[in-house]
Amino acid sequence: MNAVMTKKKKKKIDWRNYVIFLPGFIFIFIFTFYPMAKMVVMSFFDWNIGFQQVSPFVGLKNYIDVLNDPIAKIAIVNTFAYAFVTVPLQMVIGLFVAVLINGIVKGSVGYRLGYYFPVISSWVVVALLFRYIFSNFGLLNYVLVDILHIANEPIGWLSSRWSSLFAAMLLGIWKGVGWNMVVFLAALQAVPKDQYEAADIDGANRVQKFFKITLPNIRGTLLFVIIMLSIGAFNTYTPITVLTGGNPAHQTEVVLTWMYFKTFNAYKMGYSAAFSVIVAIIIIVITVVMFSISKWRRGEE
Amino acid sequence: MMNRTNKKNRIVDKMMVPRYIILSLGLILMITPMLYMFLSSLKDNDKTFIYPPVLFPSLSELSLKNYQYIFDNVTFFKYLGNTLFVAIMTVLIAIVVSSTLAYSFARLQIPGKKIVFGFLISVMLLPGLAMIIPQFELAARMKLINNIWGVILFYAAWVTPFSTFLLKGYIEDNVPKEMDESIFIDGGSIFSVYRYIVLPIASPAVAAISISNFLYPFEELGWSQQILKLDELRTLPVAITMFFQSHSRTDWGYVFAMTTLAMIPVILFYLLLQKYFITGMTSGAIKG
Repeated sequence: MNAVMTKKKKKKIDWRNYVIFLPGFIFIFIFTFYPMAKMVVMSFFDWNIGFQQVSPFVGLKNYIDVLNDPIAKIAIVNTFAYAFVTVPLQMVIGLFVAVLINGIVKGSVGYRLGYYFPVISSWVVVALLFRYIFSNFGLLNYVLVDILHIANEPIGWLSSRWSSLFAAMLLGIWKGVGWNMVVFLAALQAVPKDQYEAADIDGANRVQKFFKITLPNIRGTLLFVIIMLSIGAFNTYTPITVLTGGNPAHQTEVVLTWMYFKTFNAYKMGYSAAFSVIVAIIIIVITVVMFSISKWRRGEE
Repeated sequence: MMNRTNKKNRIVDKMMVPRYIILSLGLILMITPMLYMFLSSLKDNDKTFIYPPVLFPSLSELSLKNYQYIFDNVTFFKYLGNTLFVAIMTVLIAIVVSSTLAYSFARLQIPGKKIVFGFLISVMLLPGLAMIIPQFELAARMKLINNIWGVILFYAAWVTPFSTFLLKGYIEDNVPKEMDESIFIDGGSIFSVYRYIVLPIASPAVAAISISNFLYPFEELGWSQQILKLDELRTLPVAITMFFQSHSRTDWGYVFAMTTLAMIPVILFYLLLQKYFITGMTSGAIKG
């Protein structure tokens, strides 16, 4: 008993630790942890905001509603399609540009600034701009119809599901390439030069050097970029809202726009909460799988 | 040896021209939309709707009329001021919260800190707006609707997980434990360590997260649109969206004048802090 007591005493933690830790902890507890828990609770109720509103317990009804809702399915499919197209393309193009910029001597700062320009522009601004460019009599249709003669008549880009999503994806890639370029450029510059010199002596060509030296060396960065871009893709809200508002007939909704609509236009809080929980589960499962794959592959080598 | 370097240089030179050509073509694709926006903002409002659209209008067609309209009819500087205020406050709160948390997670003995950190990481993975319903209810209960602090506090909460994550990694990698010890030997407490060791050494990472946090209010739309219903409180993204919707979605000249104006502070900010942008972002990236 005595021994345990002294052991405990030894481990007694300096109160100053809590002075540093607690303010921040209380802040995130109130503003994120508590709402996160609340969301799970809400998802089992027909939740109503407002004075003297009752919120009856409905069990799994919200979850069943979400799973039976064709629009929820469309929103999830659209979000995944957006992620599957924009994440790899941004990475490939960004890496390609980074390799090119890494290989030039003069003017690299200028190119870097230029490619980074869309990244710093606000989503609202560039989404409005794309809405204008993709409108029926906009610049893109003009180029396609009257200059390149690819299309016979103006295409209603923003009036059907996949062409709207195409516009949104193009916007996402266009805006994201610069970020990828900067991150990859830094990673490329950290690759040890002597490895390339050794490869030169062995007579390796450009492509071989890229796949045998560059890629393995920037693997950590690749994983980081995939995670960041995937988070970003699931966060897509503004481009869709501004470009299409989820229309026509909710065909272009993504996860967040649909959640937003259900919350603030249809006042289905419980539904939205259940939808959030389902999306959260999907994201967590994907992340865990992605991490275990990368761990497993590292272990294999 | 001489021979090899010469040969290498020659190969590099052979690829140099194609490199510049591809990069320049890409640059045109990157810049054209923004250029088009800027030129359209100088066109007469009716001219923004003519077909075929004109990418390069003649000089006589250009005027600053749309900008004049914005300055006369829109409280642009009010919106800009609101956005800057939100940005600065978000940055300050995020610095305090994320640096103390990061230091705690990296060094301090606190029961259950691993679990808390795990929660924080999972929040980071979730889309920001996913918790919008409980957070909105919380904001309503705290009387933060139509209150500029309603965006500031929640923005700070949204950016905290990632900022903490980056700072924790940075502290673990760059602040040697021996320095903590030397402070303790001199009779200093962890407060001194935080103030005189952790903060100064981690300042590049703090600068990096602050830059991206600063830009957040210039981007965010969904939350601010629900919280800032009063016109005088609006931030730029909300104001632009509202302006677009209230102008029957057609007065592109005005809209683009406003968006171009909204770009200027961000571009200035970027050009001033360009160096930190790159170093900051990549410190997290290379570590992986």
